[in-house]
Amino acid sequence: MDSGTVTLRPFRVSDVDDFILWAGDDQVTRNIRWKTITSKEEALTFIKEVCIPHPWRRSICIDDRSIGFVSVYRWSGNEICKADIAYGIAAKYWGQGITTKAVKMAVSEVFKDFPDLVRLQAFAAVENKASQRVLEKAGFTKEGLLRKYTFLKGQLKDLVIYSFLSTDITVAVDDKLL
Amino acid sequence: MEANGKQGQEGSPELSLRPLDLSDIDDFMVWATDDKVSRFCSWDTFNSKEAGIDYIKNIIIPHPWFKAICLNNKAIGAISVSANNGNDRCRGELGYLLASKYWGKGIATRAVKMVASTIFNEQPHLERLEALVDVENGGSQRVLEKVGFHREGVLRKFFIQKGRCRDVVIYSLLSTDPQP
Repeated sequence: MDSGTVTLRPFRVSDVDDFILWAGDDQVTRNIRWKTITSKEEALTFIKEVCIPHPWRRSICIDDRSIGFVSVYRWSGNEICKADIAYGIAAKYWGQGITTKAVKMAVSEVFKDFPDLVRLQAFAAVENKASQRVLEKAGFTKEGLLRKYTFLKGQLKDLVIYSFLSTDITVAVDDKLL
Repeated sequence: MEANGKQGQEGSPELSLRPLDLSDIDDFMVWATDDKVSRFCSWDTFNSKEAGIDYIKNIIIPHPWFKAICLNNKAIGAISVSANNGNDRCRGELGYLLASKYWGKGIATRAVKMVASTIFNEQPHLERLEALVDVENGGSQRVLEKVGFHREGVLRKFFIQKGRCRDVVIYSLLSTDPQP
């Protein structure tokens, strides 16, 4: 199935109408810390004040239209070797390999943008099998289940933790994952 | 808050936990100057009593939960539970050390058991006690396993210690797990 060209790029204020379609959907925001967007004003503020200045956030686009996001958060101090990756896309694009494609692209870009980064890690709620499959297909290693790890939207969650190391890049290229 | 350990066998010395203070400085320096003890800790071996005093004043005394592990009231090690904020307040990280001459006698296991059996009552918001142990620190992994912590996995290159990125084993004990 031809899903159009999937690309990553910085967010633009002009993405606002497309942005609301997915960031305004509880299904999409259920497993991330974002609050569901409820108005165009909120969307504009969020794009301008959070998405655009963010140290590493990209819009996932199909034919240059925003259908989701990928973010990378670097840690500091003695944890500067690692960063967290998070993502979400509009529900209508689920189950088509688009998120996997976007995450693979993000992994490649991030290790180039941060050459001293050693570990990229991701957390998926234990019941979020789709997200776990994305990470596995993108070449992440499942490391374990962290029980009652954190509160997400008021619920105590069990999270599966995954990692992709800078040294995994060569392996992924050899295995033609990237 | 003091906790008294059970006597393991008849005649074994009394193990207790109590706050560490400046009067413990000489006992503190015994482990703080020992490379074997500092090997898997975030701090470097101390080389002066002044540095030790500063550490007790600025790090240990203000710590939300830090106790000396004592044998007949003499400090032979330390155990702590760190607090987190906001969404992560449900979890605390356990850390412990013992002067090397007391290794291999089950003392660390007893101390961890004492904390694990009381901390959830003391801190009702705590759901998860976790510990991160260097993959090469087999002794510490065995302590946690004996107490009943669940080994959840190996986190690769998780943080930097002594200038190197380390692989760590992550363990957890939940307030809902069978109490040790």
